[in-house]
Amino acid sequence: MTRHHVSRRDFLKRTTASAAAVTISAPAIAEGAPGRVVVVGGGFAGATCARALKRINPRISVTLVEASHAFTACPFSNNVIAGLRELKAQQFDYKRIEGSGIEVTFEPATRIDTDARTVVLSDVARVPYDRLVLAPGIDIRWDGLSGYTEAAAERMPHAWRAGEQTLLLRKQLESMEDGGLVVISAPANPFRCPPGPYERASLIAHYLKTRKPKSKILILDAKDAFSKQSLFLAAWKELYPDLIEWVPLSKGGRVTSVDPSTNTLTTEFGSHKAAVANVIPPQKAAHIAAVVGAANKTGWCPIDPVTFESKLQENIHVIGDASIAGGMPKSAFAANSQAKACAAALAKLLAGEKPEEPKLINTCYSLVAPDYGISVAGVYEPRNGQLTDVKGAGGVSPANAPRSARQLEANFANGWFKTITEEVFG
Amino acid sequence: MKRIYCLAALAVLFASTSAAPAIDVAPAGAAACSGCHPMSRAVETPFTRLTGRNPADIVTATQEFRTGQRPATVMGRLAKGFTDDEIKAIAAWYAAQKE
Amino acid sequence: MTARALINVPPKAKRGEIIGIKSLISHEMETGFRPDATGQPIPRNIIKEFVCTYNGVEVFRAEFFPAMSANPFVSFTTVANESGTITMTWTGDNGFFATESVAITVE
Repeated sequence: MTRHHVSRRDFLKRTTASAAAVTISAPAIAEGAPGRVVVVGGGFAGATCARALKRINPRISVTLVEASHAFTACPFSNNVIAGLRELKAQQFDYKRIEGSGIEVTFEPATRIDTDARTVVLSDVARVPYDRLVLAPGIDIRWDGLSGYTEAAAERMPHAWRAGEQTLLLRKQLESMEDGGLVVISAPANPFRCPPGPYERASLIAHYLKTRKPKSKILILDAKDAFSKQSLFLAAWKELYPDLIEWVPLSKGGRVTSVDPSTNTLTTEFGSHKAAVANVIPPQKAAHIAAVVGAANKTGWCPIDPVTFESKLQENIHVIGDASIAGGMPKSAFAANSQAKACAAALAKLLAGEKPEEPKLINTCYSLVAPDYGISVAGVYEPRNGQLTDVKGAGGVSPANAPRSARQLEANFANGWFKTITEEVFG
Repeated sequence: MKRIYCLAALAVLFASTSAAPAIDVAPAGAAACSGCHPMSRAVETPFTRLTGRNPADIVTATQEFRTGQRPATVMGRLAKGFTDDEIKAIAAWYAAQKE
Repeated sequence: MTARALINVPPKAKRGEIIGIKSLISHEMETGFRPDATGQPIPRNIIKEFVCTYNGVEVFRAEFFPAMSANPFVSFTTVANESGTITMTWTGDNGFFATESVAITVE
């Protein structure tokens, strides 16, 4: 058997005959091998799943397809924006993953041939699979907000995929004069990291309070309620009185268009000219999900709650932000939790066994200040074809907890980031 | 379609005739814990390590989190989502894990 | 009962121009079909009627029903004929009444 993966360069060295061999996807199960899994996307979901598969059954051949050599984590990137952390602390490479028997292919998946069960990387490179895991994360809906184009994002950063955008927003805040208006536009549900816009507002407020105290933050929101809302609102009153104004949907908060030439955000009832505009736009499952037909009309991917197999495409499993995971939010913790459950199901399926019903957890910390953490937690299980909250479990931090409890949760937040990134990339 | 049927038959054949042991996966819920509780010694965090611990200690702690006897941040909320049997199975699995 | 209503009417328009008008009012729009914690139905509390007048002449009227969402948003168009005042009123259960007016200049 030839290598199951061939890079473009390798391919060019080979003859047509051998190239034909690599494009034929003879299912490995027929040869007695435990199977081939290709994971598309090397974020919290995909990298976790690849590693978990190898850990459960080292004989499974696992290929991770990821366009980038470095991963930049979104959790804690709000600290980078607020100058509390450097972007380097958010960045991870795939060396340890490559060292654990997983083949990592640094090329984008351009399409998937579902009949041949093959991931097409470029014009010539193909990777066959028995089971495919899609963990592609999100894409911005560039048609979702009038005036908000890729060029507009250079002036009005979204900073919703960590990296250059994160640094751009930070630089704009740093160069803003004291007394400037920071406008954050928050999208309707569902979107990546539901408490993220409000943690961001908090940490920007923390920065402004000490450096530029005459400035203000205006949050224009396309919804009337948000994650950990009462905790955020109470903390803002306590830590940043009169610094943050939140305008919900019912008070005309939904942004309907933006104009990057004037840095203006327009709602149904007014316009706001910003010194710094952070437009968090509507989102959808990343492009490849739509290309393969795993995304439905909502732009996200419906899945089976036990195996994470797509409800639209056989042998393709979708995990992380791209999936419609019932009650589970689009968080790094949820992605990691789903990835491990999916890996267990895949190992069983490839061995011809019945997958066990999983139980999943989400824990999501937000920092209102560097020493002030709040959390939401949940336990989930499959019920009626959906991942559903286990009744009586979960919930948010208590409303009237002492500052010591907030400090403790801030410590746990930091500890969580270290643990999860060690499990995924370390 | 024919090919798929054929493969399915082969898969069943393997499942029924293979002497290989069943795939051993973590019990329901166990895999999620390591999002916070590190499996690796390399990481320094305030979270308790679960690997290699006495399973009875894990069970007691989790049950006390569930009733509120033991002070907690998120564990009080999470423990309420698990039955005694699930907690015991998770504890036994972590106790048996090497780092 | 006070409610915060938002209205958006262009301050200036050309004679004969079709103008867009938007309104949003904070209101729970309780359907009357939901039970409370004790199983008793929560009494209906909805806006029943929305009316827009232009210099006293009715140009738009809407009847609201329990199926309408909380914080109803209404958008419609009319023809700008003359300078004057555009007034919107909302009336509903429990004596609910709100009104907002705005001036428009037609050239």
